[in-house]
Amino acid sequence: MMLEISGLVARYGEHEVLRGIDLRLEKGDSLAIIGESGAGKTTLGLAMMRLTGARLDGKLLFDGMNLLEFSEDEMRRLRGDRMAMVFQNVEDALDPVYTAEEQVCEAISAHNKWSKTRIRERARALLTAVGLDEMRYRLYPHQLSGGERQRVLIAMALANDPDLLILDEPTASLDALTKADIVELLRSATSDRISIIITHDISLASSLSKKMAVLYSGAIMEMGRTADLIRNPKHPYTRGLLRSFPSMSTTKDLQGIPGRTIPGIGGCPFHPRCTQKMEICEREVPRPVELNGRQIACHRGGIVPLLEIRDVSKKFNGFHAVSHVTLTLYEGETVALVGESGSGKTTLAKILMGLIEPDSGEILLEGERARWDAGFYRRVQMIFQNPKESISHRLNVLQAVREPLDVQKMGSEEERITSAMWALESAELPTDPEFLRRYPHQLSGGEAQRVAIARALVMHPKLLIADEPTSALDPSVQAKILRLLMDLQERMGLSILFITHDIALARKVSDRIAVMLRGSIVEEGPSGEVLREPAHWYTASLVECASICTRTVGVPAMEQ
Amino acid sequence: MSSLLKRYDFIIKIDLIWLSNYVASFLLILILNFVLPRMMPGDPLHAIYGEEALIAMTPEMEAEIIKRFALDQPWHAQLLTYIIALLRGDLGYSYYYRTGVSDVILCFLPWTLLLTGLAFMISSCIGVILGIESGYRRGSKFDGFMLPIMMFLGGMPDFFIGIILLLLFGVTLGLAPLGGAMSPYAGHSGIDLVMDIAHHLMLPLITLVLVQLAPTYLLTRNAMLTTLRARFIMTAKATGLSEGDIRYKHAGRNSLLPVVTAIGIRVPNMITGALFLEIVFSYPGVGTLLNTALSARDYPLIQGVLLIVTVTVLTTNFLVDMTYTRLDPRVRYAR
Repeated sequence: MMLEISGLVARYGEHEVLRGIDLRLEKGDSLAIIGESGAGKTTLGLAMMRLTGARLDGKLLFDGMNLLEFSEDEMRRLRGDRMAMVFQNVEDALDPVYTAEEQVCEAISAHNKWSKTRIRERARALLTAVGLDEMRYRLYPHQLSGGERQRVLIAMALANDPDLLILDEPTASLDALTKADIVELLRSATSDRISIIITHDISLASSLSKKMAVLYSGAIMEMGRTADLIRNPKHPYTRGLLRSFPSMSTTKDLQGIPGRTIPGIGGCPFHPRCTQKMEICEREVPRPVELNGRQIACHRGGIVPLLEIRDVSKKFNGFHAVSHVTLTLYEGETVALVGESGSGKTTLAKILMGLIEPDSGEILLEGERARWDAGFYRRVQMIFQNPKESISHRLNVLQAVREPLDVQKMGSEEERITSAMWALESAELPTDPEFLRRYPHQLSGGEAQRVAIARALVMHPKLLIADEPTSALDPSVQAKILRLLMDLQERMGLSILFITHDIALARKVSDRIAVMLRGSIVEEGPSGEVLREPAHWYTASLVECASICTRTVGVPAMEQ
Repeated sequence: MSSLLKRYDFIIKIDLIWLSNYVASFLLILILNFVLPRMMPGDPLHAIYGEEALIAMTPEMEAEIIKRFALDQPWHAQLLTYIIALLRGDLGYSYYYRTGVSDVILCFLPWTLLLTGLAFMISSCIGVILGIESGYRRGSKFDGFMLPIMMFLGGMPDFFIGIILLLLFGVTLGLAPLGGAMSPYAGHSGIDLVMDIAHHLMLPLITLVLVQLAPTYLLTRNAMLTTLRARFIMTAKATGLSEGDIRYKHAGRNSLLPVVTAIGIRVPNMITGALFLEIVFSYPGVGTLLNTALSARDYPLIQGVLLIVTVTVLTTNFLVDMTYTRLDPRVRYAR
């Protein structure tokens, strides 16, 4: 038993809904197909049953037979028998004029010449198996709840024990508890056959599938083992999807993906929304490449490492300020560097900025050894804890923001002003002449930090090193500044090395956390994981402390 | 088991409430029929029988009629007499035919029932089937052929089609008789009689079917187009049901719901159409009778015919409603 799809293209007229899908599934495999609406997920599911109205090209091998060469009647004999589909439980997914039992009976009798009694017995057995109450067999769809209708749809799909089972949003519009029941039911229903789960619900996908494919604009962007893919997405689109999905295992605030799907563009379909695109992405469609069980269609081989710190050490008078630190920062992600004062966080930041020479180890920026020249500072910028001190008191807002451009002698006078205005707007600051003429002492703490951010942004950096950027601010201003940083990251793909001693803060803003103790990184991993199951005693005690400190701080209850 | 019984109990109860609506409308019609002639200015006798009839009447006949309708009694007595007479099947006296109105109507009614009943069944069946096929194969040659023809037929007045058919097949080609329901004094019996009746029925029946076909067809086709977009059609396809099952058991059955309602609404329209056609084809049905009664100003006969027609319409509507309820479980339990 095998399903092999290669180069499957679905077209409506000139518009390609699926642009060359390659899949290979064997008995026992379960594949989740995730993606935003309009990605072509449902078309792909329907195409496997040859039920889509789109014109299909390519190869669709089911048990060695190319279904695209089958006649309509041959297909009809396969559908509902060897391949079945569970549809989303919408109001009219079941025929309103027949009872639940009648519809399951029909699904059986469509492929079996059995006696009426035998068919009815089988139908009842199926309905019992999917957990429908016996009193409800003879009810009509409008008398059943959403969950019950979903069970009937599942019973119909399982009627003839299909080899291929396609589930199209099988739990959408169900409440959480019903959903949990249905997921449990589906888990047993999907075993021992090929199952395909079409959904935008990542938690559903992760509980039902072993493999996961991310579909965007009709092409598979990334495919791999489900748990692996969720823990460590390698394609920027996958990461964006995961960041927009509320889950219990991630702690960072929800972020979106900039822009929206633009159908029918050339090159990589995701390039208009991608923050790490290159010129080739607009020209050529990336071929899917497989590496260590992960398939990625990206000209850049997935999310690129931006900054690589390799075995960096620094000693001050025999004291190991930084010892053998290795850490990689990827494009568009936030890594929080957490540790107590004196743990070497700031020393590391200074090494990264080229202010201190490391004793050993190397630092790579976009794959090249960092030389701390003008090119380096164009890509890496830093913001500090105390903005008023980091901005010269002799410069007004406009001068402060355009200063990096003046230093690097970039662009004409007009271009520098335009860039400065853009940076101020990006940092959500006013651009009226009055504000531009203000001096640091005339700014509030929040405004000053925004000016510092604008000053960093003016170079269009790829990496922002933020050393305790909000510790001098009051909580409401801090929240706004953090929100701003996350928005900038979503829009521009900015990577942020967020240095803080506050693990509760790190939890909300970072994708990964690296914990530093006495100059070494003692633990590093996805934020949710590190916080849920800290591996190192020091991380555990940090989490413990933060929990005690913040437990008492909550939204006060309403006075009765 | 007990729950099943309870469910049926529920349906019966609901059906009773709904039946009472029909009873109420029937009573309303009876009362109108009773009140209207009595509300006309002047003597009810004049209103019921008209000046001309009275001139031809002898004083004895007049006295007999007054007694029969209790016209000299107070109104409640008159109503009682009227209802008792109705229950006995007495609709009054037709002075033109010089016999009881009910006897006259009973002579003519079977032909109308035969004509409209057959036309109703044939046009509904053919209309629905053609509509289902046309809708299922939207844009096909079949659909492209049927749709304009039906729209053309639907736009023609019924008597006009009748006249054309009569001229073509009756007068020019001589294939059909020009009038009547059977050959008089031919002494046919058995199969011959049936064939003779069918021969006479042919043209008016075809006309009425053609006229009634178009709206049923168009509505069914439309309903099919909507139903085919429903998600359960995709479910049915994915289940691997045969084309025929999808077309008739699922799409067709669901498309039938609005069509049945519309057919019910069109029953009066069909009956009035039949009345016209009977005159065109000199078919001895209620239409011809009404025409005669109108020209003779035989008011009791006119009233009797109207009452019978209304009762027929109500009955058919009731039957259509019953069908609908059986067809759609959502209505069955929601009523």
